[in-house]
Amino acid sequence: MSLGDLLRFSARGLSGHGLRTALSLLGVTIGVAAVVILTALGEGARRYVIDQFASLGTNILIVVPGKTETSGTVGAGGVPNDLTLEDSVAIERSVAAAHRVAPMSMGTEQVTYGERRRQVAIIGTTHQYKDARQLEMQKGSFLPEEEVFRGSAVVVLGPKLARELFIGEEPIGQVVRVGGWRMRVIGVLAKQGVKMGMDFDDLAMVPVSTGMRMFNRHSLFRILIQAGSHADVDIVKESIRQVLVERHEEEDITVITQDSVLSTFTAILRVLTLVVGAIAAISLTVAGIGIMNVMLVSVSERTREVGLLKALGVGRRQILSVFLTEAAFISSLGGLLGLGLGWAAVKVLVGLYPVFPASPPAWAVWAALIVSLAVGVTFGLLPARRASRLDPVHALAGR
Amino acid sequence: MWELVRLSLRAIVAHRMRSILSMLGIGIGIASVILLTSIGEGTRLFMLGQFTQFGTNLLAINPGKAETIGVPGALGGTTRKLTIDDSEALARIPGVEKIVPMVFGTGRVEGNGLGRSVFIYGVTPDVPEVWQWGVRLGSFWPHGDPRKSVSQAVLGPKLKKELFGTRNALGEFVRIGGTRLRVVGIMEPKGQFLGFDLDDSAYIPIAAAMRIFNMDELTEIDLTFSHARLLEGVESGVRRVLTDRHGGREDFSITSQAAMLDVFDNIMNIVTMAVGAIGGVSLLVGAIGILTMMWIAVGERQNEIGLIRSVGATRQQVQLVFLVEAATLATLGGLLGLGAGVGICSLIRVALPGLPVHTPPVFAFLAVTVSVVVGLVAGVTPARRAAQLDPIEALRAE
Repeated sequence: MSLGDLLRFSARGLSGHGLRTALSLLGVTIGVAAVVILTALGEGARRYVIDQFASLGTNILIVVPGKTETSGTVGAGGVPNDLTLEDSVAIERSVAAAHRVAPMSMGTEQVTYGERRRQVAIIGTTHQYKDARQLEMQKGSFLPEEEVFRGSAVVVLGPKLARELFIGEEPIGQVVRVGGWRMRVIGVLAKQGVKMGMDFDDLAMVPVSTGMRMFNRHSLFRILIQAGSHADVDIVKESIRQVLVERHEEEDITVITQDSVLSTFTAILRVLTLVVGAIAAISLTVAGIGIMNVMLVSVSERTREVGLLKALGVGRRQILSVFLTEAAFISSLGGLLGLGLGWAAVKVLVGLYPVFPASPPAWAVWAALIVSLAVGVTFGLLPARRASRLDPVHALAGR
Repeated sequence: MWELVRLSLRAIVAHRMRSILSMLGIGIGIASVILLTSIGEGTRLFMLGQFTQFGTNLLAINPGKAETIGVPGALGGTTRKLTIDDSEALARIPGVEKIVPMVFGTGRVEGNGLGRSVFIYGVTPDVPEVWQWGVRLGSFWPHGDPRKSVSQAVLGPKLKKELFGTRNALGEFVRIGGTRLRVVGIMEPKGQFLGFDLDDSAYIPIAAAMRIFNMDELTEIDLTFSHARLLEGVESGVRRVLTDRHGGREDFSITSQAAMLDVFDNIMNIVTMAVGAIGGVSLLVGAIGILTMMWIAVGERQNEIGLIRSVGATRQQVQLVFLVEAATLATLGGLLGLGAGVGICSLIRVALPGLPVHTPPVFAFLAVTVSVVVGLVAGVTPARRAAQLDPIEALRAE
């Protein structure tokens, strides 16, 4: 009996019971589609986070005042030694690999123009911030290149804030009130949207020392540093630590690298994707049980046929492979259909939400296909063995 | 009628292997749903406990109005500062019981020749009542004008252990930012809260903290009120008093513990439902398995169907036989799954005590109900097929 004959025998077994085959197939299809869709969502979330970080600039380090031995939140509240503008200048001077250094002060304040007012976040920083954070200008210019201690009375507005305050008017050159301070608008940022929980469209930026005076703060909120290249990040981190420990005479700052935050995030998301995918894969086991059941029925229905084959001298192994082929065929066809269904669903999702880059990871696609094939073979084994062990005489008699 | 049910049951027993496999399908589905929702529910309760450990009748006021930025007060920096005067004004609002103005920072605590960088809270002696957190040894410094500093400190248990080991720390001195403070109390262990290790912290008089940190503004004001009913009144009172004091501007944020709990509860419920639904895919596949098997069974038992129809059974009765069979399979499978799910949950509780699991009885009830429904739904099509069979044709079928 040739391979072609075997396949034909299997195919007849399947097509003879169209509905039954379709239903067994459907189980695998649903399982694989679920795995594909869920891992695509997980992968999409991971890519989204990476994009968000990338849009915040690359090779970024952040110096935060304060340090605790307990891991957890840093950078909130007061510290005995302030992180000062002088510290920032010292970093700029002594850490050669620090490409850009942008000290930051921060607070919330009311911005007023005529009768219109809006409470927004105010970032005090320097011209370096724009390139480090990859900000674009819609019109006008960013904060001027000036001595950090000078702090002129100029402000750059986020696009949303500019729109809300100057309905239809030209904002550049106008004077707005930030808290009690009169400041000239010199630029409007291009639309950025919300990045890492911070709305870059609804804020105002002022020179750093202006900000510190405005909020009556002695300490910087943080210092943003961009290393020249990825290889420099660790060197820069260590040099910053040395410079600041020397200046403060104790280690009371924390240096965070954006890469380490990002890798923590992606590691968490990867595990999450794996777990969700695995939960969905449980349904493949259930589908396998369904296939096994149907195959058992099919073996008992075709007892006579099997008896005949055996009487004609077909070996056990061949009988075994006939039924295994049948089971594997159902499950892998179901797997392929599931892949198609899942892929289509993901396409629709991406069409609806283009911001969310959902896409099934390659490993998940392969895993789903291999698992679906394996499910067929594994759960087909018991029925196939039962068929191959049938006694030809009894089988022919239909018992 | 009873005869018909017996017929169904006999069919299940006759095809033992087949029935067990069908049940197994549903069982795995139910077990995974039970397991996943139990983990979700356990986590929800765990987090709920984290929040309520400070009491629910708690209101926190932070400087800065958060309109665009998610975390109020983390940035601070408003021109009208939140002051001790503000907190004293708030204490006079009817319904307010206790109030703790707070300054928060990080710094190095030195004592017994050792040092440790930890969280430092500048507070008033009302902390134990407001945060519902007892002092294990000693006590807080005496009540008095919060503007006047007393050189005394209370340590979290972990900080005490790191600095003084098992030795008695009461009466010893610690140094924080150049200020010498005498240890007068050790807190009870409380653990982590939202990334802050409360046990690895020092609690010092607010005036001392403001001087050490060189701050002239509070980080937060926490207040308690006597009854949950008073929440709205107290909240609007706080808003009115502070807005008046800040020149008509609302430059602060009020967070009520109850509101936070609500938001959190909602999120966790959605997560639990989503995860349960993913597990439910298995249930769907299991249902398809039952549907397939019932369909096959109807085909195989045409003779039997023809026979009972010819002895006077109605179509409805035939339909019922197959519905009962499907529902019984699914229910038994559901019970099996419920047992397995609960079993695995208790295994987890023993093996991984860190992972909170909790199976509410209503979940168990729902699981069984769902499996009955799944069985009925899966059985409908095959049962109708059986009912539609022409008795004569059916009898003649080989």
